[in-house]
Amino acid sequence: MTGARVPLRLVIGLAVAIALDTGLQLVWKTGIAELPDTSSVWETLVAIALNPIFILVVVFMLAQLVNWLKVLDHADLSFAKPFTSLSYVTVCILSVLLLGEHMAPLQIVGIVVVVAGVWCVSQTGRATLGAGAEGE
Amino acid sequence: MSPTALGVLLVVVSTMVEGFGQTFLKRSALDTARRHRWIMIGVAILIVEVVLYSGALRFLAVSTAFPITSLSFVMVTLLSRWLLGEQVTPLRWAGVGLILVGTSLIVAQA
Repeated sequence: MTGARVPLRLVIGLAVAIALDTGLQLVWKTGIAELPDTSSVWETLVAIALNPIFILVVVFMLAQLVNWLKVLDHADLSFAKPFTSLSYVTVCILSVLLLGEHMAPLQIVGIVVVVAGVWCVSQTGRATLGAGAEGE
Repeated sequence: MSPTALGVLLVVVSTMVEGFGQTFLKRSALDTARRHRWIMIGVAILIVEVVLYSGALRFLAVSTAFPITSLSFVMVTLLSRWLLGEQVTPLRWAGVGLILVGTSLIVAQA
């Protein structure tokens, strides 16, 4: 068990990853909803290129990539990746608050279980490979 | 195939693709001499995932599509162990299992 040894910069990196993931999902959904209802791939691509929201999507993705590469410099992929599941919690809550979607009681239970899962992962060694490797 | 089934299928395939893309990004941190090469490959694979997921969101609500992507946690964990050699302890697997259960509950009620 080495959960207490997670450095602050990794905690911040993971928090930023969750925030960017949440923003990306919500902005992406907004952009997709504004696309014309057509089966033409070309018309869809043109609509995407002309929609300013997708510029914001690209900015979110680039920021997410840069931050994620920093996170992976200090942690196992199988350690860091589960933390991003917390964005399921934030997206679910913000979808209710911003998009008017409904949240059922069992979804709240699901959110609690997801948080418990992330806690379990946080109690394992963050790095087992490379220069940042630590003993289990 | 119904639009909903097609949307679910696209999300599932995109999670598998993401698993491979993520292992290449992690490889860039381990093999710094060829860091940019691994990043380019990883990003290229993740772009494929983006295209698949974008298609899925045309058929599904984000509150439904997003939790299904939790399958990527299993794929990432498996590939981290098989391709990268990371030590995946039982507790870490338990955490991934709980995350799957939790997101399934969210999906079932979406």
